[in-house]
Amino acid sequence: MLKVIPPRLRKPALYTLAGLVFAAAWLIHGGRTWWFSIVVLVATAARVAAVYLRAGKDTDEGALAGSRADERLQFLNARARALAGIFAGTATFIALSVAVAAGRTWWPYAAILAVAGLGYLFGLSNYGVGEQDPAEEDADDAPSPVMS
Amino acid sequence: MRNRVREQRRQRGLSQAEVAAALGVSRQTVISIESGRYLPSLPLAFRIARFFDVPVDKMFDPDEEEAGPC
Repeated sequence: MLKVIPPRLRKPALYTLAGLVFAAAWLIHGGRTWWFSIVVLVATAARVAAVYLRAGKDTDEGALAGSRADERLQFLNARARALAGIFAGTATFIALSVAVAAGRTWWPYAAILAVAGLGYLFGLSNYGVGEQDPAEEDADDAPSPVMS
Repeated sequence: MRNRVREQRRQRGLSQAEVAAALGVSRQTVISIESGRYLPSLPLAFRIARFFDVPVDKMFDPDEEEAGPC
């Protein structure tokens, strides 16, 4: 679906969608804090505008914001995301431990860790870890590349 | 890993932006490859070699320290 959207608009579109969902959550929450949804919408608009403007620049950040990363940036982006995942996992584990020790609600943290673990396993499977290609049985009969 | 991208580019009087456009990568990536901060993938290394019409093993030379067998 994202392929239909021009590259420069993909990140702004995602941020817009996320902002609308979060604003709707505050609106549904209601009560005295319903106006948080307005704050979220304003912050989202500012963020989307900033990302769109950054996407027009000839920099690494601009290429990432504009969804036109080449192989080097995709590699760096994947490493940065992996690091962010480690930070998020560590923080969630600490929060889980503190919640258990304090007798507070702990299952949301456990659920986040479980989803992250399943995501990791899905990633390993999706990217081909563990797939065994059949060994070439006639490898000994193959001519040596150094022989003419 | 040493490479001759900068040398070849200058010999041809090309800018980093022109090389980047021809290879389909960003100018920053060309800068990183020239300075040795980024090792290109095998497909990109071949694209670079073909673009400059230089054999890939002439374009990219492993340093002697890194080239030895384990």
